[in-house]
Amino acid sequence: MTKRPGLAERSDPTGPRIGSVDLMVRIGPLTLLNPVLTASGTFGYGDEYAHVVDLGTLGGVITKTVTVKPRPGNPPTRIAETPAGMLNSIGLENVGLERFRREKLPKLRELGAAVVASLGGETPRELARLMEALGDEPGIGGFEINFSCPNVSKGGARYWAVPRRLERTLLMLRPLTRRALIAKLSPDVTSVADLAKACEQGGADAVTAVNTFVGMSVDLDHVRNRLNRSTGGLSGPAIKPLALARCWEAAAAVAIPVIGSGGIMSGRDALEFIGVGAAAVQVGTLSFVRPRGAGEVLDEMVAWLVERGVRRLDDWRGSLAPRPDEACAPRPSRGTLAERLRPRRR
Amino acid sequence: MSALALQENAARALAWRQVTARVARHQDYGAGHRWLDLVLPAVAPRPLAGQFVQLLLEAPSPVLLPRPMSVAAAATRGDRLVLGFLYAPVGSGTRTLAALEPGDHVEVLSPLGRGYPLEIKGTPVLVAGGRGVAPLLFAADALARSGRRCEFFFGARDRGRLVGLEEARRRLDRMGSRLHLATDDGSRGFHGTVMDLLDRVALRLPQPLVIHACGPHSMLKAVARWGTGHGVPAYVAMESIMACGTGVCRGCPLPRSSQARAAYGRSGDGVPPSLLGNRDYAMCCTEGPVFAAEDLDWERVE
Repeated sequence: MTKRPGLAERSDPTGPRIGSVDLMVRIGPLTLLNPVLTASGTFGYGDEYAHVVDLGTLGGVITKTVTVKPRPGNPPTRIAETPAGMLNSIGLENVGLERFRREKLPKLRELGAAVVASLGGETPRELARLMEALGDEPGIGGFEINFSCPNVSKGGARYWAVPRRLERTLLMLRPLTRRALIAKLSPDVTSVADLAKACEQGGADAVTAVNTFVGMSVDLDHVRNRLNRSTGGLSGPAIKPLALARCWEAAAAVAIPVIGSGGIMSGRDALEFIGVGAAAVQVGTLSFVRPRGAGEVLDEMVAWLVERGVRRLDDWRGSLAPRPDEACAPRPSRGTLAERLRPRRR
Repeated sequence: MSALALQENAARALAWRQVTARVARHQDYGAGHRWLDLVLPAVAPRPLAGQFVQLLLEAPSPVLLPRPMSVAAAATRGDRLVLGFLYAPVGSGTRTLAALEPGDHVEVLSPLGRGYPLEIKGTPVLVAGGRGVAPLLFAADALARSGRRCEFFFGARDRGRLVGLEEARRRLDRMGSRLHLATDDGSRGFHGTVMDLLDRVALRLPQPLVIHACGPHSMLKAVARWGTGHGVPAYVAMESIMACGTGVCRGCPLPRSSQARAAYGRSGDGVPPSLLGNRDYAMCCTEGPVFAAEDLDWERVE
């Protein structure tokens, strides 16, 4: 990898070597060097942060959602800060398929990180069109289908929160690519588990749990809504416990990997998601707060694992959440990893 | 904008860095305002007047997102940069900021956005409303350094809101620039808005004029209208709620004027297009905060 300016400023050169823990994650045909990805819509197309972030250390970069036609996005105001969180109503602003292929794709191939392209559509047909165009493009390691945007009037989270629609759509997309196929789910549904199962049936290699929660913020003093649309997507630390529960629920329901997402601000947060069964995690809002946040999450995670002598991330995965079937099985004689790591009472 | 300025802007779009800054000075500035001096390692370029930084306030800060703040002064000291900021501790973010003491550290993304095109020829007319004076004090300094005087128009609702007036007067006197004051209630200077005042004296100023303004959007709207009406180019520093401040979150759109929409995509100024807005919306953080007034749709600006 070519050296980029700014890498010398990277924090924590004294931290434990990442190489001392096996962090490898497999998402279908895609192998990630480590489990920390940047969430769609929070890291542009990667090149915007390339001068301050060492992209090669990340597990992967998930691009801003691309749609068939360019979208200007929602009118202002698009952001509202809330206690321990933020609401956004961006509305899938993006350059559209044509410019994505022409301008973004060549740059994505040079990022030096695994790239997952996020695709969004108002109908299954639109998604198929995107996949027909991009499914075989070199430089894209996988596709995350955005079945969960809370900020569009058509083809948003509500439209896709139907298990049979998800399953049929994925069955249609599956033959169009040999790359990893990931479905990003909304938390605002009756059962994330049911949607995750539908995605598994449809041939998805993984599901992401979860996108932002629908939220609202009003300005009492000026008697108005803070956002242009009535509602937006809530992210940040405020949603972490909610997202953790959805992630656990999804991981318990399917055999395919679940990528945890929602309010991850530290390595400890990431370890919690992996502890309840996530294969990998996405860091979103943190990148707005600290552009190098994703790398810091990884460093902290490794330090925690090294300190406790955990050599493989796989050994930690699910330690806090035995699957229902395993919960009934006899315990191994040495106890679970969680039991072994638990501090002993004096 | 000149070709050279466009090139410089393009290079600057990706020149920001995340650095740790030290609080060197933090004191009252009168009228409920505070002045903050931060010392930064000079790994990032010195900001231009009108550019801003993101202050990353850490726990126990009650706020999550970084705070965008326009730069009110910049000086190079050896291999360090000293940046000055003028703010009022009125929200939870600025109140957290007010608690920082000399010697404390804070992470900073700097410099962000585009500044005032001060190189444009003509008499610089600086128009400040209330605390919008901050980036214009910096602009006046920068002009003085290149040996140019300015006409400085400073307006507020009342004399108590002419933030840092005495300091502004001292600095402008030293530079040989003229200060024109206006208050809505007539408690200091001209009785009326700062644009009423400009309208009265404009003909007596050395022509041609070029306006650089910062203040409430209602004032900037009046600046835009006056500039269009008199054929005077006007550059205005806009405000927006922001999340990232760097172009990735797409959270700070401003509506483009029809002429800017028509010209969209033709400028080709070298900045990665995904950092900029789209045909309908400009991003305040990467294309602004300073805009040519004619490029925004003032009917739709809030």
